[in-house]
Amino acid sequence: MIRAFFDNLRLAFGTFVAHPLRTLLTLLGIVIGVSTVMTMMALLEGLRIKVNKDLSQLGANVFRVDKWPQGFRVGGGNRMNWNQIAARPPLTLADRRAIAESCPSVLRTAASSWQPGQRVRTVTTETQPNVFILGTTVEYPDTSGITIAQGRYFNDAEDVDGRRVAVLGPDVADRLFPNIEPLGQEIRLKGRPYTVIGIVERRGKVLGLFNLDNQVLVPMNTFLAAYGKRRTSSISVEAKDAQSVDRAMEEVTRVMRQRRELGPNDENNFEVSTNESSAKSLNELSTVITAATFGVCILSLLVGGIGVLNIMLVSVTERTREIGVRKALGARRRRILAQFATEAVALSLAGGLIGIGLGFGLAALGRWALGLYTAVPTWAVGLSLAMSSGVGLVFGIYPAARAARIDPVEAMRAE
Amino acid sequence: MLISLQGIRREYHVGGEIVAALAGVDLAIDRGEFVAIVGQSGSGKSTLMNVLGCLDTPTAGSYVLNGKDVARMSDDELADVRNREIGFIFQAFQLLPRETALANVELPLVYRGLPAKERRARALEALEKVHLTQRLHHKPTELSGGQRQRVAIARALAAKPSLLLADEPTGNLDSATGAEIIRLFEALHAEGNTIILVTHEPKLAARCPRAVRITDGKIVDDGPGAEVAFRDQATGQLRDEAHS
Repeated sequence: MIRAFFDNLRLAFGTFVAHPLRTLLTLLGIVIGVSTVMTMMALLEGLRIKVNKDLSQLGANVFRVDKWPQGFRVGGGNRMNWNQIAARPPLTLADRRAIAESCPSVLRTAASSWQPGQRVRTVTTETQPNVFILGTTVEYPDTSGITIAQGRYFNDAEDVDGRRVAVLGPDVADRLFPNIEPLGQEIRLKGRPYTVIGIVERRGKVLGLFNLDNQVLVPMNTFLAAYGKRRTSSISVEAKDAQSVDRAMEEVTRVMRQRRELGPNDENNFEVSTNESSAKSLNELSTVITAATFGVCILSLLVGGIGVLNIMLVSVTERTREIGVRKALGARRRRILAQFATEAVALSLAGGLIGIGLGFGLAALGRWALGLYTAVPTWAVGLSLAMSSGVGLVFGIYPAARAARIDPVEAMRAE
Repeated sequence: MLISLQGIRREYHVGGEIVAALAGVDLAIDRGEFVAIVGQSGSGKSTLMNVLGCLDTPTAGSYVLNGKDVARMSDDELADVRNREIGFIFQAFQLLPRETALANVELPLVYRGLPAKERRARALEALEKVHLTQRLHHKPTELSGGQRQRVAIARALAAKPSLLLADEPTGNLDSATGAEIIRLFEALHAEGNTIILVTHEPKLAARCPRAVRITDGKIVDDGPGAEVAFRDQATGQLRDEAHS
């Protein structure tokens, strides 16, 4: 049994060596399918690990109050219409003050507001128009988990006075001040000068896309003066301790509903969400992407499988005479069936292995060249192996059965 | 008695008609015999050879080979019988082109499920018998016609079958090489092997201790090779005269 298996394996290998180009082309469909799924899984898994880590680093016991629903909501029951959400009143500094004053379970609060896609200049140079300008209150570093690498964050006096001071993300600092000490230098936002007082510790990208290091942070009041007073804020709330998070969320919800004069039957016209709920929705999203990737992968494997089917039929026809000789010399049907089925499985499994290698390579390339956080999950390797050998078996069994049925007398007469 | 055929018929359906390639063949062959089967093309000689070789099953009649009734066996049972009882030698050699001489000789032993060591030993022994130990790792394309046929004979011998079945073994060879192969068969016969030689050449049949002649699916002559060959030529001449 085992001896027969190794004999078949050796025969299969001999066929590949005899037709290297044909073998490679046949493998291509499976290679592409498997490497696609491997790369996607590596990206998603890396993203999941990274975001979960990031979120857990964000201040403990923190939740947020927002105008817009958090992150990515996939499926779910009460999806709201966009216009309805857009019509919600903005969250203001007055809301934040009310939360801070009337919620006993709340330790501290921070407000932030933002303007994406800005150009930052100095006298001599400028950035691309892709910098994220963030206006925050002074508590922001505590509730968002950022740390100051150099210099300091701004203080209450600077916020209240609307002073033009700025804390730079490391990418912005590197871009504008590659050779000199950035602290004390002047940058310009919308033509107005700001003094650099600090640099944020490097944090990397979220979702592999959103660069947390390409930011400029300025005091909240300064920001509102420069970018418009009516914009909404996001309020981060830190509860006194882990046990009081739920209570703090209830208190905040009650205060907000009071302030907005909502009736008992009205829905909240604001969002309260924890980091865990963001993590959960991200995980839901990654599940959906995984499923979609598998759809693509299965299509590609189907194409690859048809390639295997085709080449195996060619192989059986080409080797009709060989099959006849083997049967004449005493090979049973099952033995011939096993020979060709082994060949088909070995063929597509080889494709799977190449695809897995390529997937690891692409994941490593993404990490090295694009700075993406990738991790190939073990189950994806196992699944790729199982799927590629499964494809070989499913699409190889018909040609193998045809080979097994060949009549030796007829076959040995074939040219 | 090694082979006993009784009332063997093999019929084919051709365009709604039934054509009998074998129309009732009775034949008995003892262990150790060297028998030629002669006949014109279309005489049923190839069909008889396929039935004798368990490559084909008769429509009717009984075939007992080495004590086993093989006429009603399934495909897989016949495969086992071919593997153990019959060593084939074909006109076109039928070697696997991608395998070495040694691997080709080992092939029937692979299907018998022997361990690699024993396969190797038996194949070497068989190749020695046909004086081919210098060409073990050559592929068929690197061998001459005579050498290829000797590899095929070694492959037949390696299985230690009870019957060597040779179908026009000299058909693809020049006369000198053909004679060499026939001498090899005679030596194998002298060692006690049972050999059936299917041929259309009366000259070959004349060298065999026994020959049977088949015409229109029936055995029409059976006796010492030289006599059968002589009578064959005589009837051939009579036939030619009748036509002229």
